[in-house]
Amino acid sequence: MVEADERAWVDGLRRGDSPAFDAVFAAYRRRIFGFLVRMTRRRDVAEDLLQEVFLRLAQHARRLDEDTKLGAWLFTVAHRLVISWARAQAVRAQLAGDLPRREPAGGERSPLDAVADSQAQLALERAFAGLAPTYREVALLVGVEGMQPAEVAEILGLRPDAVRQRLARARTQLAESLGEHAPASWRSA
Amino acid sequence: MSDDVTELAELSQQLTAIDVEPARAERIAFQARGTLGRGPSLLRFGEPVLVTIFTTSFLVWALMKVIEVFS
Repeated sequence: MVEADERAWVDGLRRGDSPAFDAVFAAYRRRIFGFLVRMTRRRDVAEDLLQEVFLRLAQHARRLDEDTKLGAWLFTVAHRLVISWARAQAVRAQLAGDLPRREPAGGERSPLDAVADSQAQLALERAFAGLAPTYREVALLVGVEGMQPAEVAEILGLRPDAVRQRLARARTQLAESLGEHAPASWRSA
Repeated sequence: MSDDVTELAELSQQLTAIDVEPARAERIAFQARGTLGRGPSLLRFGEPVLVTIFTTSFLVWALMKVIEVFS
């Protein structure tokens, strides 16, 4: 994504232009949705949260700073919504007199299993799904989104050191889960 | 660490591409576009205002009743 595009989109959003909003939606929709599906492991919830992310963008459009980094802004909102959703899930489970519902373990079937094309892809999806949410979000933002640890730290409200630590743990857990599907250098480490 | 980042990025490229259904995406975009630049709905503030008015009125009424009893 070209930085000039991003700048033009922010300018457009600040003016309340629909074409700028449409361009941002087209550019970020899949990325945010992918993050939300892999964090919540539920398509219906991810769709609702995706809607909330872009509603918030539309509502805050005129108040965006000129130098807003849209990717970081959108992922920050998505991250906070996932946390709120997870807390609500835990409270709901407790009110129902049950223990907080644990996320399905990596080995159980997830909605992402249905779309995996190969055994390797399935193993990879399950390995990511098996990570603790705090490690998974770091692995997704760094691995899938190509963000630097410093940027991820800003989004998650953590110190860069904490992000690097979580990333190292995520890598170790992924290597263990992937077994023969792990990159050769991870297996030998 | 940078090797970790690179390898994780390469590995993540193999993850399945997922997208929201086009019809649902269009509905989301349409709804969000409708609120572009408008800020949160004023209705969001309506409920706390009504509750505050109701609670205050009840407390004033209860206080007056207590005063009436003891006077």
